[in-house]
Amino acid sequence: MFDLFFQFLTNTGYYLADYRHYIMIVVGSTFLYLGTAKKYEPLLLVPIGFGILVGNIPFFKGFGIGIYEANSVLHYLYFGVTTGVYPSIVFLGLGAMTDFSSLLAQPKLMLLGAAAQMGIYFTLLGAMFFGFAPREAASIAIIGGADGPTSIFLTAKLAPHLIGPIAIAAYSYMALIPVIQPPIMRLLTTRKERLIKMPPARNISKKELLIFPVAGVLLCCFLAPTALPLLGMLFLGNFLKECGVVNRLANTAQSAIVDTATIFLGFTVGCSTQADVFLTSKSLGIFFLGAVAFSIATASGLIFAKIMNLFLKDKINPLLGAAGVSAVPGSAREVHLMGLKEDPTNFLLMHGMACNSSGVIGSAICAGILWSFFV
Amino acid sequence: MIGIENITNHNGWAMAAVGATIVFSGLVVLSFVISQIHKLLKLWEDREKLIERFKKKAPAAVAEKVDAPAYSERHLPSVDELIGAYEPLADQLEESFNLSQLFEIAIKNDMPHPHLSIQRLQEADILVAQGDGTFTWNKQKESKA
Repeated sequence: MFDLFFQFLTNTGYYLADYRHYIMIVVGSTFLYLGTAKKYEPLLLVPIGFGILVGNIPFFKGFGIGIYEANSVLHYLYFGVTTGVYPSIVFLGLGAMTDFSSLLAQPKLMLLGAAAQMGIYFTLLGAMFFGFAPREAASIAIIGGADGPTSIFLTAKLAPHLIGPIAIAAYSYMALIPVIQPPIMRLLTTRKERLIKMPPARNISKKELLIFPVAGVLLCCFLAPTALPLLGMLFLGNFLKECGVVNRLANTAQSAIVDTATIFLGFTVGCSTQADVFLTSKSLGIFFLGAVAFSIATASGLIFAKIMNLFLKDKINPLLGAAGVSAVPGSAREVHLMGLKEDPTNFLLMHGMACNSSGVIGSAICAGILWSFFV
Repeated sequence: MIGIENITNHNGWAMAAVGATIVFSGLVVLSFVISQIHKLLKLWEDREKLIERFKKKAPAAVAEKVDAPAYSERHLPSVDELIGAYEPLADQLEESFNLSQLFEIAIKNDMPHPHLSIQRLQEADILVAQGDGTFTWNKQKESKA
């Protein structure tokens, strides 16, 4: 009887745990705290944080429990991550939720979304400089796009062993936008520039909104067919929303479908951060490079906006460059708040959303381009 | 392998340069296309007007040059007929009157082509200018005509 009891004890988490598990449990709890108490991207941080807790409960290997063990339930749920299914579904929902009218009203703001993608390519070089293999470097670099699903999608294709740290880094920096972006924005802009008011956007017709997803999917996917799983779904979702004849489908895409995918995506990504896989020197490097990528992306957008102002008759507020990263709507909100701080009558939210939308498209194209380099 | 050597050996510079160029040019093209959508839509919506304008313009140019004199000759009544039609109208006005008054009264009476008719009466000296912007009905000329 005692033998059986001791045998049971040796199979419990209390017995099997080591310091790494406790570190990860602290990380998971921090995510839950940030998501619930601080309300930093709660839709992402809560499922990821809980996933980290679940993924770091020690267990006896061979029971078919862990996410990396074949035929386990978590392994099947994780299938949606490793195949890129969940990110595609999230993009469908994102498209069904996104209103591109502000972008259509000011197409020149799309250039800021393009400029912010430069962070990806600088980080690609940086990661290779620090000794990462090209496929790993490309996966790390995409963190600069500040788009969680895109980062997971590309990493699943190029470096699946890094999904955990890259996804956690991407989502962490998305959640930390209010901490990371404002100092860079203040550093690279003058008060006079921050006070620039944007003209009101023109009204967009229904037909324009309908044509945009069709033109977008054709132009972008002909250019980078490897971005098809992301952009195809994004523009499909948007067409469902705008066409007005399939409201049931659009409503489902922007609620039940995207919510289900977000739960499984966040939870399984969290579970994938098993201490023995996650706590490595590579993960630390990824976090460092992710921060660099995100900062360069923000700076690139700001600097490019200033360069555009040298040639434009109607100046644009360079703060909008920071919204060129695809963290929707976090970075647009940050730009808006900073604009309001300088002048309470300066409303930049909708202009920021235009840059954000183009950032989403830009980072998905970047993912497609990087993937195609290794096909 | 680390450092510049790692970047160079794995073609990193080219990947970064080509990738950045492709994404930038792709978004530039997309932004140009979406900036033209509303213009193309406006053209499409106004296509009937454009076609009509195009159709009208061509024959109108020919008609002005070739048919305009024929039109007035063919469709307007003769001066005598015009006198018969317009004299009762002129009688309703004062001795000297403005052409606009005659025009208005002609419109009220559903006279066809009032502009051309009044012009023709003027050319035939039935309507005589008084030099102060007013006209009188020339009874003498009328009898000759």
